[in-house]
Amino acid sequence: MFRTCDITGFKVDLRSEKLIRYNAVFAVISLLLAVIAAILLVFTRYQPVHLLGAEWYYRLVTFHGLNALIFWIIFFEIAGLYFGSTVVLNTRFCAPRLGWVAFGLMVAGLVMSNIIILMGKADVMLTSYTPLKAHPLYYLGVILFAVGALLGVILFFGNLMIARREKAYGETMPLFTYGLMTAAIIAVITLASGALIYIPTFLWSLGLIDNIDPAMYKLIWWGLGHSSQQINVAAMVSIWYLVSFLSVGGTSINERVSRSAFVLYILFICLASAHHLLTDPGVSSAWKVWNTSYAMYLAVLASMIHAFAVPSSFESAQRRWGYNKGLFQWLSKAPWGNPAFSSIILAIIGFGFIGGTTGVIFGMEQTNIIVHNTIAIPGHFKGTVVIGTTLTFMGITYYLIPLIFRRKIVGFKWAKWQPWLFFIGIALLSVSMIVLGQLGVPRRHWDSTFSGGPFTYNFNPAVDFFWALMMLGGTLAFLSTIIWILIVVISVFFGPKLKGPADMQLSISPLAPEVKAHKGFEAPGTLVLTLLFLLVFLALFFLNWKWLAATWNVN
Amino acid sequence: MENDQQPEIRKVPFARMIMDDFMLLLFLGVTIYAIFYLLWGIMELSNLPGIPEEIKETLNK
Repeated sequence: MFRTCDITGFKVDLRSEKLIRYNAVFAVISLLLAVIAAILLVFTRYQPVHLLGAEWYYRLVTFHGLNALIFWIIFFEIAGLYFGSTVVLNTRFCAPRLGWVAFGLMVAGLVMSNIIILMGKADVMLTSYTPLKAHPLYYLGVILFAVGALLGVILFFGNLMIARREKAYGETMPLFTYGLMTAAIIAVITLASGALIYIPTFLWSLGLIDNIDPAMYKLIWWGLGHSSQQINVAAMVSIWYLVSFLSVGGTSINERVSRSAFVLYILFICLASAHHLLTDPGVSSAWKVWNTSYAMYLAVLASMIHAFAVPSSFESAQRRWGYNKGLFQWLSKAPWGNPAFSSIILAIIGFGFIGGTTGVIFGMEQTNIIVHNTIAIPGHFKGTVVIGTTLTFMGITYYLIPLIFRRKIVGFKWAKWQPWLFFIGIALLSVSMIVLGQLGVPRRHWDSTFSGGPFTYNFNPAVDFFWALMMLGGTLAFLSTIIWILIVVISVFFGPKLKGPADMQLSISPLAPEVKAHKGFEAPGTLVLTLLFLLVFLALFFLNWKWLAATWNVN
Repeated sequence: MENDQQPEIRKVPFARMIMDDFMLLLFLGVTIYAIFYLLWGIMELSNLPGIPEEIKETLNK
């Protein structure tokens, strides 16, 4: 039932390992489906090409949204939850048969929803706002997937209970697993909201319920739609800590503070679902202010803590390994040849500078109005879910291939620069979309030139440049994703078997030496980088307020 | 000598006890979200006045 990993020394439950493998494989399949749709959408929105007709544009917007934001992410997270609750804790899987039931439900949901979308019976986009109505099997597919995922989350808690009872960990669980526990709790909130809205909508599509109130639908749906992205944040940050540990032997310089930040996520991060209702007249300003500020920015504080704690764990470890010169030798001497490491550093930069800053600015009632319902909003998503979560998941996969699939990475040289190409591509895509949105280009719009319409709108000529840049970024990101998928698929199915630690292409560092008594800051380089981030954030913040003042001159 | 053999009873700080209890955290997370986002939001939407009849008639024309 168990094998002992000759590289990490972990006791691996083989039943758990199999479930991790299958969930990870379906995550990759979902990502492939999502990016094929994505590149077609990019070339449709780029007006000189305008590839697809209106029907297929909206069909693929739906298809892309569901596969990218739900299937890819949640399959991978379920694999991560099983990994973090069994392999990392050296314990057994509580109910493997139920694990397969969960997996079966999720696969059935994926297949059913995708077929219905491609048949043209669910052109409702991911949000499926009522009164738009899809075929009942579309809703049923989503419900099956959600029930499977919820079962997976329950099994994660079951594994944790076994680990606690069998004293598989010391006084408290490892920080990585603690972060995954945060993700699992957020997943319960998310999936419960999903059940709350999708079950009545399914009954409505069958004709068993007369009406679903659109405002109520939107309120509850975003409890699923936005919170599902908060699962990503918690899982992603957990992986950042894990990769620091694996690549340089780093640990948080204050674990208690890092854990407190995860608790703040649990308590407050899901309130941010209210961002999507900022222009809705039905809810009061008090509700909007309280919820969109994540309860007075307590969950933002948590992100700021992680933003300092993760890089400082790298820096502190590197300094303890002797890379002490100046402010940034720890960074220049970092293991950049390790694609997992470079993925994580690039994900942190992209998530912070693009996704994080725009998240706070676009999430405020006042500044949101400049970009509400423009292409800047999906541009922000690209800065969080894609450059942050997806790049992080890509990075950790480079460790999963040898440790879980027991294969060598085929095309390791390609793997070394794949994260850079992906980062450049998505950064170009995301920033271009944000600028286009600031210039008034709408989102989810097949033809933003309004050609043939009763009125026209002349955009700032600069939009042509940013459309081209967006297309370039999208193409680069697509190519690098295909490279990643090829590396993963070829390695997992056809790669040479891993015979032992000597075959390991990625370094696994021992724990960094104990800290010696030192003067001053433990991580001065990170402090400087964090201050730089704050300066950029403040500049963007005031720029947006200035923009708002210019848009609406208030005397 | 007997005292030496007794297991050491360590008092776990209250904050850590809460932070390590994942069922309690699950309860708190769900409750805060349910009260502040869901129930508050549903309550506000439920209390919205209906569309006046004359506007409804205009829309239906």
